[in-house]
Amino acid sequence: MHRSSLFAVILGSLYGCLGLGPSAIADETCNSPYMSNLIKGQEDFIHVWTLGVEGLGDGSDKLVTIDVNPKSKGYGKVVNSLSVGGRGEAHHMGFTDDRKYLWAGGLDDSKIYVFDVGSNPAQPKLVRTIADLPAKTKYVGPHTFYALPGRMLIGNLSNTVDMGGVTGMALYNNKGTLITKYDMPTTAVGGVKGDGYGYDIAINPAKNVILTSSFAGHQNYMRELGDLIKDAEAMKHFGSTMVVWNLKSMQPTQVLSVPGAPLEIRWSLAPGENWAITAAALTSKLWLVKQGEGGKWVAKEVGTIGDPAKIPLPVDISISADGKGLWVNTFMDGTTHYFDLTDPEHPKETYQKHTGSQVNMISQSWDGKRVYITSSLLAHWDKKGADNEQFLRAFNWDGHELTPAFEVDFAKEKLGRPHHMKFTAKAGKARTLASIAGE
Amino acid sequence: MTAMLRRPLLAAACLCVSAIVQGAGDQRPAGPPRMDFTPLAPGTYRLQAIQPVADATLLDERGRPVKLSALVHGKITLLTFFYTYCVDPLGCPFAHVTLVNLRDRILEDRNLAPKVRFVNISLDPTNDTPEVLARYATDFVGGSSFEWRFLTAQAVPRLLPVLDDFGQDVSIETDEQGRPARTLHHMLKVFLIDPRGMVREIYTLAFIQPEVMLNDIRTLYLESNTRAQR
Repeated sequence: MHRSSLFAVILGSLYGCLGLGPSAIADETCNSPYMSNLIKGQEDFIHVWTLGVEGLGDGSDKLVTIDVNPKSKGYGKVVNSLSVGGRGEAHHMGFTDDRKYLWAGGLDDSKIYVFDVGSNPAQPKLVRTIADLPAKTKYVGPHTFYALPGRMLIGNLSNTVDMGGVTGMALYNNKGTLITKYDMPTTAVGGVKGDGYGYDIAINPAKNVILTSSFAGHQNYMRELGDLIKDAEAMKHFGSTMVVWNLKSMQPTQVLSVPGAPLEIRWSLAPGENWAITAAALTSKLWLVKQGEGGKWVAKEVGTIGDPAKIPLPVDISISADGKGLWVNTFMDGTTHYFDLTDPEHPKETYQKHTGSQVNMISQSWDGKRVYITSSLLAHWDKKGADNEQFLRAFNWDGHELTPAFEVDFAKEKLGRPHHMKFTAKAGKARTLASIAGE
Repeated sequence: MTAMLRRPLLAAACLCVSAIVQGAGDQRPAGPPRMDFTPLAPGTYRLQAIQPVADATLLDERGRPVKLSALVHGKITLLTFFYTYCVDPLGCPFAHVTLVNLRDRILEDRNLAPKVRFVNISLDPTNDTPEVLARYATDFVGGSSFEWRFLTAQAVPRLLPVLDDFGQDVSIETDEQGRPARTLHHMLKVFLIDPRGMVREIYTLAFIQPEVMLNDIRTLYLESNTRAQR
């Protein structure tokens, strides 16, 4: 038997005896498909990238770690708080491909912090600070951190020249060295003119496609929201496009018109599906991006979130692992919505609950049974006075009702404004090769 | 006992489960990669210069010290980490099936074949001695002019800097007493290295698409030819 054929037979038999067929290559529904160590059971910790607030505690941005395992003595409690020694508008984070490190960015100071969360997830360590993004790329506001093998692709929001919304993506290797940069298109690609704006990144490896979305520049996101919405000229400067990129060549192949600042992008994780969904913040619309005939991608408005006339401001979304459900948080009315995505062309809202005076990020476990919500959007966009609640709220979801599980009051604990969340799990009985070699 | 018979016995006692380190409940390896697109033609795109490969001294199949730098320069190199008794269907065996098929495709091109090599480095120097590797290698290189090298280290401490440089995570399952068992966890990565020792692509499981990998190799080959003509 030819060697290749022999191995194919062995491989085939192993698939058979272990019952491993093709399955969705993804993480807890929103992370890079290149990341390892999927947590499909109970997460042990949530790390919350938290904006510092002047006069509250040490006032610094910090990575807050909360024990979220119901079987733990520390369940629902803050077990670690790691300040980075400054306030730079902490916002989003992303794991490296091996899930050992968490990269976190500041939208104001453009610094990138690399935390070791693999050695001991209960006590993350700051191991590197990357401060060369603006100088080397002319980009400002590192937002999305998306793992590629051995690399981190960073979606930015702004630029050093005019602090507006024209920006691009930066590619670093896992050692923190800049490899290259990719400007967002400002010319017509596929018949639609690019606006050059950036925000989220989402990759579908089976399609060799990257999707990016668009938000606003530093001039807008660092401005008081009350002033901003009264400035008609400034309100013109929000993204209105998504871009389809060839992943291998990193070249844009299509610009899609999606007005109203399309934000988070989620691919359906169900095997064989070829669509992604996003929410446009300013128009309160759900948009479906789907591959049509001839391989071209089409963006289509498929639903409304709340009453767009009241500007509910949909912010974060979270798709279920089977691609049949979508959580949407609307910031202004503090409402958490659930949409049935069984027919992604016609999403149906089947549930909503008022979960806070202001709600922003939403993350669900892989099995969908646990849902976590944080309150802060941006330092200058959060509400004032009594409505400025700052919390992480955990819920259990039985398919019908969100039941409160625990809450951490970030103001009372003098932590700051909680924003992005990421899960980790304990290492179990595995030890590193280095620790064993040292014995 | 022949090498072919010995391996299944070892495999029965040891299980490598790549892509699973943190043990929260039901963590299942991802499936084999899907590929629902036509890959770009060789030479129509540029691969990124991800990182240079740091030098190290390892051992070859005959126990001779070899400089890693010598095996990542001068040819286009596909390098991966493995261990001989790994049986994870989406780990080392999957990588080897892919590499064997790629080798056969490369051998069909007389111009390309002498310009490409494969390098496998063992994650378990304690068990994968040069003698073990020599027996193992015969399954892959026997009767072929293709350069396919199998390396190990004198000891784990000599291997650690190499793993660190490549960003290859490895952990070992332990028993109830905290003693190492024979289960290695590692994320499958195949590194494409250009003739100047620069990593130009990294294929994790979702990226192991043989047509794309072959086109990437041809892209580097065309790039090398262009550089040589200057």
